[in-house]
Amino acid sequence: MAFALSTVVARSGLKVLEEKLSTLTISCGSVREKHKLNPKPRLRNPTWFTQKHRVSKDDVVTIENQEFLKEVVQDRFFNKTNDESKESLQNVIWRPNLQRTGLIARKIGIYPLWLKNGKKISTTLLQVLDNHVIKYYPPETYDPPRKRVGKIYNKKGCLLLGAEGADPSTFTREYCGIFKNSGVIPKKTLARFFVSPDAALPPGTLLTALHFQVGNFVDVRGLTIDRGFQGVMKRHGFKGMPASHGVTKTHRRGGNIGGGGEKGRVWPGTKMPGHMGNRYRILKGLKVWRINTKYNVLYVSGQNIPGATNSIVYVYDSKIITKRPTELVPFPTYIGGEEELPENIYDKEVHEFGEPTIVFNE
Amino acid sequence: MNTVNVFFAKPTLLSAGYRATIAIYKRLSSSLSEEIRRQNNIFDNEQKKQEESIGRVEKIEIEYEGPSDKATLVMNKNISTPFDCAKHLGETIADRSAVALLNNDTLWHMHKPLPDSCKLQFLHYNIPQPALVNKIFWRTCSFLLGAVANSAFKDDVKVQLHSFPSPNVRSGSFVYDVQVTLEDWRPTQNELKVLSIEMIKFCQQGHAIQCMDVSTDLALDLFRNNAHKYQQIPDIAAHNNGKITLFRAGHHIDISRGPMVTNTNHLGRITVANVIKLDTDIPGGPIYRFQGVALPRNIILNHFAYSLLEERARELNPGRIPGSQENFEDNSFVAQVTV
Repeated sequence: MAFALSTVVARSGLKVLEEKLSTLTISCGSVREKHKLNPKPRLRNPTWFTQKHRVSKDDVVTIENQEFLKEVVQDRFFNKTNDESKESLQNVIWRPNLQRTGLIARKIGIYPLWLKNGKKISTTLLQVLDNHVIKYYPPETYDPPRKRVGKIYNKKGCLLLGAEGADPSTFTREYCGIFKNSGVIPKKTLARFFVSPDAALPPGTLLTALHFQVGNFVDVRGLTIDRGFQGVMKRHGFKGMPASHGVTKTHRRGGNIGGGGEKGRVWPGTKMPGHMGNRYRILKGLKVWRINTKYNVLYVSGQNIPGATNSIVYVYDSKIITKRPTELVPFPTYIGGEEELPENIYDKEVHEFGEPTIVFNE
Repeated sequence: MNTVNVFFAKPTLLSAGYRATIAIYKRLSSSLSEEIRRQNNIFDNEQKKQEESIGRVEKIEIEYEGPSDKATLVMNKNISTPFDCAKHLGETIADRSAVALLNNDTLWHMHKPLPDSCKLQFLHYNIPQPALVNKIFWRTCSFLLGAVANSAFKDDVKVQLHSFPSPNVRSGSFVYDVQVTLEDWRPTQNELKVLSIEMIKFCQQGHAIQCMDVSTDLALDLFRNNAHKYQQIPDIAAHNNGKITLFRAGHHIDISRGPMVTNTNHLGRITVANVIKLDTDIPGGPIYRFQGVALPRNIILNHFAYSLLEERARELNPGRIPGSQENFEDNSFVAQVTV
């Protein structure tokens, strides 16, 4: 008992010290060198993590039975309508401080758009996949795999979303068990989104691109392209040395790596060649210019969204304070079906291709 | 003390440690109930008696016809079994054969002595027309389900095996009707899992299923403590020239009509799907229908397809429900090929 108390006291004392020390550290520009209060994460898998893919040997299933299994999957997962969720969702009223769920999308390409003032912008198309809510963890029961230092105010609940349904027999039984309660077809991609308890959605809800609105801002998180072991010029943007004029054996190298004196050593965090890419990065404050309702595509500003084409990205309402929504947004998500929506919804500043040409009066 | 049979906790309390119950079961397997020991003694003695009564050993010629080859084997009359013939032909054939086919029309249990010269074929699970083998497999599963049901319950619960209907693979489950002195027992998921695991563990011990024809009197003596079997035996014998066929796997002995599979390790995936109380007028306690589904060891099925089979097995099997007026033409001993 005494031992337990002493450890509790020691831990709380350490926490206070850590919080005080955080104000004294120096932070550099790039994310990699930032002095980490929460150190480099070890791989800690989420609570729902199980072995996903099954080693499938040649199953002794006749062709008729294979067809039958496909029919069963179709009947069980696709040929049903759940309208009960829609009524319960309409009772929630949005406030500016509430955080609603994000979506899993796939980056499918880059297109230009023109604004009414004639300016050309690059937009990335993000196709919102068949997102279904798998599970909701209330704030009290959610146990994050990486616990952060510091007190968390306004603890959020966790919504587990799945995208890209697939044949259940390609997954393991344990992985399919994650989807059993919600009755959703087992999905290839799972993602967690933090939501306010008011924004909790019932399992099995389908989310579409209309969850976002044209003109609002989003953050996009994706896995950057794996560039492998890269030199210092590509990785950190060093200028290198001239290609000629007598420069000997130093064209793309890093040059000086430190000074002398008492602290005569290479400082931790010094920029050097190394592995580049294959990390999750978040691009913030991207405007949604256009939504295609037929194919569930968001046209989002920028052409530098992390990830290669056809890679999965996670899209959610922007956290940048000046870019948060001020007017009503579909909360907790878009429920429609009654009104006929146009195939493309454009932001008011975007020049629609069917409109008359933009004319500049001199 | 009462280390015997604290195997199955009360239905509501099973969540307390399956590991504990398994540890207990391991100790138990050496200490069998007196009844089982008595039955096995009778069986062993009868086996010895039958072996000794053969007297002079006569030779018979067995013509084996395989898929690609033929062989003529000289074996001993009333001593050699089809399994012995298979051992001569190789381990592959001996391991995979489920049942023997004599003269293209009689199904013969692999461990039953051959009575005369004949043509022999071995049937296994991957032949083009496996309907017969499937039926035999299903019958074996029922038999082994009875074995598990017999030994799974606590001491204060009285279990009496009643019978099982003729195997019907298309019905979706194999069945054993058991009289259990528990009023309105609804098994929980955990209890069904435990039953399934017990059946799997029993089968993986690899017991060879032995076969023996006995007289009515011996059968009546063996089953004198089981009222239902005691009643059924005269009926069965009447259809089978006064003989009863007993099958034994491990320590479990039961009566059945047709051949069983060679060995318990032929069973692969097993699930005890449901236990449903039947509406019957048999005295002594309610009759429960234990239902399950199983696959042979060499057939591997993905979990999704197998779960559909399990779902189907959960529904009440349409097999005949035992009543007080019943004629067991299903358990009648006619060693014929029927589909």
